[in-house]
This record gives sequence, structure tokens and C-alpha cells, in this order.
Amino acid sequence: MMQKKGKGKMNETICAIATQLGNSAINIIRISGNKSKEIAEKFFTSKNLNFNFIEPRKMYYGTFKYQEINESCLMVYFKSPYSYTGEDVVEFQIHGGEFLAKRILQIISCFCQLATPGEFSKRAFFNGKITLSQAEGIIDLINAESEEELKSAYNLSTGAFNKNIFEIQNTLKNILAQIEVALDYPEHDEELITVIKSKKELIKIEKNLNELLANSSSGEKLKNGVNIAIIGSPNVGKSSLLNAILGRDRAIVSSIAGTTRDTVNETIIYKGVKFNFTDTAGIREISDEIERQGIEKAKEEIKLADLILFVIDSSRALTKDEEKMLNELNAGKTIMVYNKKDISIVKGINENAIEISSLYRENINELLEKIYEKSIKEKIDTTKIVLTNLRHINILKEAVTILKDTVENINNLTLDVLAFKIKQIWSELGKITGETENEQIIDEIFSKFCLGK
Amino acid sequence: MEIDCIVIGAGHAGCEAALALSKLGKSVLLTCLNLDSIAFLACNPSIGGTAKGHLVCEIDALGGAMGINADETAVQIRMLNEGKGPAVHSLRAQVDKIKYHSRMKYILEMDKNIFIKQAEVGEILVENAQVCGVKTTLGETFMCKSVIVCTGVYLKSRIIIGEFSQNIGPNGFASANNLTKSLLDLGIKIRRFKTGTPARINGRTINFSKLVKQGGNDGLSFSPMSNNSNKNTMFCFETYTNQKTHEIIRKNLNRAPMFSGEIKGVGPRYCPSIEDKIVRFPERERHQIFLEPEAMGTNEIYVQGVSTSLPVDVQKELYASISGLEEAQIMRNAYAIEYDCIDSQQLTLTLESKNISGLFFAGQINGTSGYEEAAAQGLIAGINASLKIDKKEPLILKRNQAYIGVLIDDLITKGTNEPYRMMTSRAEYRLLLRQDNADQRLTEIGRKIGLVDDERWEKYLLKIGVLNKIRNKLEILLKVDKKLKNFLESNNENIPSNSIKALDLLKRNNIDIYKIQDEYKLFEDNETQYLNIINTEIKYDGYIKQQNDEIKKMKEYDNFPLSEKLDYSEIKGLRIEAQQKLNKIKPINIAQASRISGVSPADITVLMIYLKGKK
Repeated sequence: MMQKKGKGKMNETICAIATQLGNSAINIIRISGNKSKEIAEKFFTSKNLNFNFIEPRKMYYGTFKYQEINESCLMVYFKSPYSYTGEDVVEFQIHGGEFLAKRILQIISCFCQLATPGEFSKRAFFNGKITLSQAEGIIDLINAESEEELKSAYNLSTGAFNKNIFEIQNTLKNILAQIEVALDYPEHDEELITVIKSKKELIKIEKNLNELLANSSSGEKLKNGVNIAIIGSPNVGKSSLLNAILGRDRAIVSSIAGTTRDTVNETIIYKGVKFNFTDTAGIREISDEIERQGIEKAKEEIKLADLILFVIDSSRALTKDEEKMLNELNAGKTIMVYNKKDISIVKGINENAIEISSLYRENINELLEKIYEKSIKEKIDTTKIVLTNLRHINILKEAVTILKDTVENINNLTLDVLAFKIKQIWSELGKITGETENEQIIDEIFSKFCLGK
Repeated sequence: MEIDCIVIGAGHAGCEAALALSKLGKSVLLTCLNLDSIAFLACNPSIGGTAKGHLVCEIDALGGAMGINADETAVQIRMLNEGKGPAVHSLRAQVDKIKYHSRMKYILEMDKNIFIKQAEVGEILVENAQVCGVKTTLGETFMCKSVIVCTGVYLKSRIIIGEFSQNIGPNGFASANNLTKSLLDLGIKIRRFKTGTPARINGRTINFSKLVKQGGNDGLSFSPMSNNSNKNTMFCFETYTNQKTHEIIRKNLNRAPMFSGEIKGVGPRYCPSIEDKIVRFPERERHQIFLEPEAMGTNEIYVQGVSTSLPVDVQKELYASISGLEEAQIMRNAYAIEYDCIDSQQLTLTLESKNISGLFFAGQINGTSGYEEAAAQGLIAGINASLKIDKKEPLILKRNQAYIGVLIDDLITKGTNEPYRMMTSRAEYRLLLRQDNADQRLTEIGRKIGLVDDERWEKYLLKIGVLNKIRNKLEILLKVDKKLKNFLESNNENIPSNSIKALDLLKRNNIDIYKIQDEYKLFEDNETQYLNIINTEIKYDGYIKQQNDEIKKMKEYDNFPLSEKLDYSEIKGLRIEAQQKLNKIKPINIAQASRISGVSPADITVLMIYLKGKK
């Protein structure tokens, strides 16, 4: 029902990635609304920061920590009304990379709403922070964005996704119509759905939605690309491998160990899929302070990556450091890359490994094929529906929450409350399909049942 | 002397309108084609039912007349949906249709401010887009400040029975054949709707011994102000159609005006004719029928479920095929009726015309079906006509306040393409809008306007006092002693570690207020009658909070008023569909605009930005 269109959300706290996603060096994640400070406090710690005495408009250097994320970043707090939106605002400046930004947004969005297109600016306008002419620019933006959404609704995977959600909505509508008939036509004598039967249906729907959600991470991969970390000891040719893949000199290549002190990100498109490569500092035990930071960063990249290219100098045996590292890696997502094929002493490699020469650009295409197979073919069943949109994921999660609660308590619910719950789920899913009009339920009632005096 | 308001038509809408105006101190001329048809129950002899019962309770809570009139003339009253949750508990009364009419007529007659006149209004007089009077077909002219059109199904009505048709109103009453032209001349758009009624049968010829009897429940009433203590004096009976009935209908479908093209009006899905049911649901083996007594002192029985416009010879055959009706004599034949009504989207939420000041419309002329829907509109139109004369703020009930609010908002904001019937599923805040709290939702509003008299007000305050007492008593802390342990164990509930409020116990699934009363005897005799209200209030608390959150979000939009003068085609960024819809409906605020189908959230944002820029 209830999900009426254009519901006011001006007072809810919202979040979004404020920078254009691409290959920028940093991304900004913005939270606006009176809960923003409270949310930031859940994840961000800094040596000299006590949130009770936080200074507005001051940059704090610290760490954003949650589950696998351990991101060194900057945080600024703007106190209402001295912010872009005029509300309390917190901004995180984090390292570049789409994956990291989206993951952090996902974490934050568990505690507030995702902003709709143009919403920050809309609030800025209503709080008198920007002028009408600026706001009119936003109108175009909002229209453009919704146009874009409309278009994407017709693309293949989202089309199938929408269809699936529509089917679920139809099942819900059918259950609801039967309950509504029972409520509005007590004297109706056809057999109607029972609580037990609707429970079974709801459990099926819950399962279906959970499957969709389970596929959401593979969907992310298709949309945002596969994240690949290139790791290995210093000077085994990680940077020259990246250059070979890119076909140009991008990373600084030299034969002095420890040249790549920070990570380098590059993206290529192979067979229609984005592959995001991160060239990391060589991992070894001894290093200076700056290099140590690079190494820490590399270790983090390993955690975030979907796939790891472990580069080895095949002209020599494995070092102790390398053996140790190898043991720590997840074999399922690692490809061993034996570089310097021309002077190799290695004999017989397994299927998770490949011999190449980045210097002579040999076997580079074979490596790409291997990467594709390992990350896409084996991992993603492209015939399955994959979810790529964070907004959709959040909607499904909300729907599952209500479903779970409904199923658990169903034996204690009166029919009017059960109808309320099912309508809530139906409306939630309607945010995806656009079907939220109550009239559609009433149409269903009268098309399926013979009613009236 | 100039009359404050002329009410055209004395059906269920007209009666409420006239009485409300009178209570608010206005002089009223109430016209009716035939005074014998005042408050006439042209179709079934019953008031209430699902959602309709809610409407009656709301009308009553505001100080309207329908609830008391139904209570006082009831021959049976029942609570429907008792097992399905308090939000959908619905009262339904079988009433004596003769008494219902005569009692209402008498109340109108006794009213000092109301002048009743048998007359057909042929013309509405308008000057400078302001209504100023009416002219009857006999040539009399009456001047006034406002007019409420409550013509029901009487405008250019035509009844159809098979190949036969005649330009008359329901039950042989005359139709009004002149007013449509006057409305058209005023620029009002007219449409044609259709409905129907079943046959009335002589009870003497029905074999009741074969049928299941249905009685009422004691102690129920729509209104706290009624006195009739014995409402259950008559019975209804259940029977069914069968394959033979269906065959007769199928064989004669070519003679059914619905299918031969003879009837052009749009019929309701809500009360389909029996031939409609057979065609649309061919797989059903039988359809349920209720036999309802029309009144005391008559043997006529209304056959609910078998409305038809088939020819009389087919009617005879098909009714006789029904169990118990084998020998039945049809006293009045079933018929379909077509009539003129208006497109309700030409009105504002006060039920006044958008173009002609002081001209209100209420009831079936607005495209609704049902006595209760009509009465609710009549009451609101009457109130608003009066408030307008007094230059006071209009009364617009919100969707979260009353079914009446849902009804009128649906009519104005969404419009309807078929006779509109109230249903509980139309109310998105159904859990809030219960019969049991209709007075808590509306009586204060009615009092403020001036419709709720002292007697009702005192009774209401007394009740609120008792409710608060019950709420306070539930705050009591219960110690975890042997008594509590036994109580909880026997109800399969966990035992808390610390003392617990009775209120919190009540929130448990297996506990209700009656069990607490049995165990702890917290409440006195005068309180026990209201325990169910508090029980529902607390059991629903969580859901009510969720609904209230939604209402709060909508409220923000209520605070963005939209001028009726606004030309939406001039707003840059609005999609063309949205511009057209908004220009047609002219919503009063952003909240209403957001409910118009075809207006997207992006359009609403554009609209809000535009408004803000204007300031």
C-alpha cells in the first residue's frame, strides 16, 4: 500500500557516492541528515577524535573499519546549516576504485536510505543553499536519470530481473486478493486461501528473493568489473606484466626492487567484461616506512580482490617469502603467473598456472583467457538473473525482512494484519516494477472472483 | 426570504445534507419528485456491511442521521467478519424499508429549518459562475446561496426488462427528465451508468423449510444514541442457484439486454447481474443467494444475488429453478436501470463544482453505488455548503482519518469508470480506520463544526473517560508471583524475570485483555463493555505505529498547497501527461497530486522545486 509515490523523505538520513565513479584517485562518500554523525561513529576511528567534541569542517585522518574493510581515509563533518545540503553532513574521502566505494556505501546504507538522483541538491535547494536556476539544472538531471532507469529496465538482465519480480508480485497479489475477498465479502462461498497455504507460498517467495540476493555479488562483477590484484615479490615483473596487458607503459617499470610504492589501478575490457587490475607493491619483509605502507595496502587489495595474479620469476626457485605468501593465498582465486618464460627453469605447471613473458609479450592473450575463465565462466552462470543495482538489493533485503517476520508470526496474525504485511511486501517490490497502485489489487479481486449481490 | 441551500433529491444523500445544514442553522428547501420516495431503499433492505458499516459508524460519529435511523428500524443486526480481525469487523442491519422511509421523513418534517416540497427541479440558476437558485418544472423559482444536487439514479433514468424498456425511475417512480440539459448547459460533463435490482417474491410461496436460516446478534448498534433494544425480530435465508438455473440463463442470453447491446451504460463489477456472473465465471457450479425480508407487515422478500434484466418469462423460469423458490410468485420483477450521472473529477474535495461556486453534488450522481456511500457524501456536501456560507474553512477528511475521506479522495483524485462501491481494501490505513474507533476519530470534528449535540458529546466524553481509566489500569506492575506464573504457564507464555506491566502482558500473542480481567479483575462493570476497544488498540500498536510513520511522511506534502489557478502546462520540466492530469484534477496540495495516477515522483520533485522558487 502503502508505498505511495513520491513519498516525502526530507528528514531521513541519506547517503551516496558523491564523486563520479571512474578511475579517480579518490572517491567521496556523503551522508546527509541528522543521523549522519551517529552513523559515522559506528565505523570511523581516529586517534585524536572524540565524536562528542568533533570539530566541524576539520579533516580527520583515521580508519573506516567494518568486516573485511580496513580503509585508511579522511573524514569531514559539516554541522547544519553550514553544509551543501544545509543538514548535518559527513563525508569520507576514500581511495579510488569502484569496488571499495560501493562496498563502503553498502555498509553505510544499512543505517540510512540511499539517496535518489538529485536528492542532495534537492535538499540543498529546499534549505536555501542553492538558487532556483541551479535547481532547474537538477530537474534536467532528475529527468535524465529516470530516463536512464527506464532504458535500463529494457536491457537484458534487468528485463529478466523485472520479470521475475513481477511474477513474485503477481503471486503476492493473488494471495492478497483472496484475503481481501475474505475480508470484504464475508458471505462469499468459494474456497479461499488459508493461512497455512499462504505461509507455504510466502516461504517460497522468501527463498526466491534470497536466491536473487545471493546472485547479487556476481552481478556486481558483471557490472563493475572483476577486481584483480597483481602480487608477488619485488622485481618479479608485476608492473611490466600490467604494461603488457595494457599494451603500453603505464606503471613505472625499473629493475630496482620496490619501485611501485603505492597501488596502480588500470581497467581493460575483455570479452565485454571489465577487468580492474591493481598493481601492488612487491611484498617482502624488509622495507622502508613508505614501502611498508605500500605493502599494507597490497595486503588489503588481496582481501578485496576477486582474483589474484601471483607473479613468480621462473628463472629462479621460490624464495621463502614467496612460499609463505603462497600458503596464505586462497588457491581457488589465484592464478600462478610464471614470468620470464624465455629463461625459465620451471618444468611442468598445473592448470592454475601459466608461463608468460611480459618482456616479449608472449602468452598474454592466453593469460587473459585464463583470467576470464576463472572469474566469469566458472563463477557466474550468465543464464541466471544477476542483480547489479544497489537500490534493488536494498529493496529485496527489506522485502525479505518483512517476509521473514510475517512467516515467523503468521499463526498469530489476524487476517487484516496478514493482508497489511503482504501488502507491505508487495509495495516494497513495487518500487522496482512500478506497480504500486491499489487499484491493481482491486482489479485482481474482480477478475478472479465472482462477487456482489 | 432567500433560502440558504436547496437540496435536490431526498434520497440518502439528500436527507443527510438537509439535516446537516439545518443543524448548522441553515434554512433548507428539500425537493423530491415524490415524497413517498424519501429515504427509499430502492434495492436491498439493508444498511451496512463490510466498509459500508464503517461509513455508517463514521456518519454517526460526525452527527449524521443514517446510523440511528438504521438502528431504530432494524429487524436484524449482525457483526460480519468476527473471526478476521477487528479492523474488518463490520455491522450489517436488515431494516424495515417502510419504517426506514417513514421515520426519516418524519424527522425531516419535524425540522424547523427544513421545508420539504414535492417538485421536479428543471433548471439550476447561475449568475457570474455563482449558483443563485432553481426553477421547478411547474414554473416556481426559488432563490438561494447554494444548491446540492442529490438526484441519485433519477436523471433520465430508464428501466430495462428484456425487450421492454421505459423511461421511468426505480420501482415505478417518475424519472427527472429536465435537469440533465440544465447541467449540460452549465458545462457539466454527463455520463451514463447502469445498475440493477432482483425480483421481490411473495414469502407465502417460498418453501423456507428447505433453506438455512440466518439470525442476528444481540446488543449491537451503529450508534450509541439509538434506543431500539430488540433489533432481531426477523430472519434471512440462504439458498443457491444450480446448473438448471445456469442453463436457463445461457439458453436465453441472446435476450439479455446486457449482451444484445440494448444497455449502453457502464455497470458495476460490484453488483453484477446473474447473467453477468454466469458469463464471466462459467466454471462456477452455483451462486449463493440470500432471501431478505423487505419489511414487517409485508410478505415481500428480496432475492439478493439474482439481479437481472432478462425478460419476464425467463425470470419466472429461472427463479423457479432455485431451491425453495419452486412455487414462488414474483410480485415485482427484476430490472436493470440506466441513469445520467456526472464525472466526479469535475468536483473539488468539498464536493463543490470546480467551475460554479455554490453548486455541490452528492451521492449516486457522482458515480457511486450504495446508500451508505451516498449518505456519506450528502453529509460532507451539506457541511461544506454550510461552512461556505459562513465563510469558514471547508471540511476535508483525510484518507487516514476516515473511510469517508478515502471515498471522496478516490472520487476526485482517481475518478471512477463504473459505479463506485466502498471496500475495506481501498483504505490503505485500514488498521487505523475501525468501526470501534470511529467516534474517537470523528466526534470531536463533528462537535467543532456544530453537528454533535450536547447529549452525544457528553456520552462521548464519558466513554473517553472510561477508556482512559482502562488504559491507566493497564499500567499496573504485576509481581512475578505464583499467580502470574500459573497464569502465564497455562497460556504457554514465558515468565519474565522482573515485575511486568499488565500492558506488556497484553502484547503477548496468547494473552488478551479478557484473560487478564478473568485473572486479575482489574476492571469494573462499566469498563468491561469497552475492553475490546483497548485490546485492539494495544494489539495493533506496532502496526498502527508503522502506519502513523507513513502518515507523518505524507503530512509534509499536505503542507504544500497548490492554487487552483496554477497552470501546470507552464511548469518547465513536468512531463506532458502529468501536466494534463494536474490541470484536469487541480489538486489542493502536493499530497493529493502525488496520488494522481500518471504523476511520477520525479514530477512531484519538479513541482516542489517550482513552488519553492515561486515563494
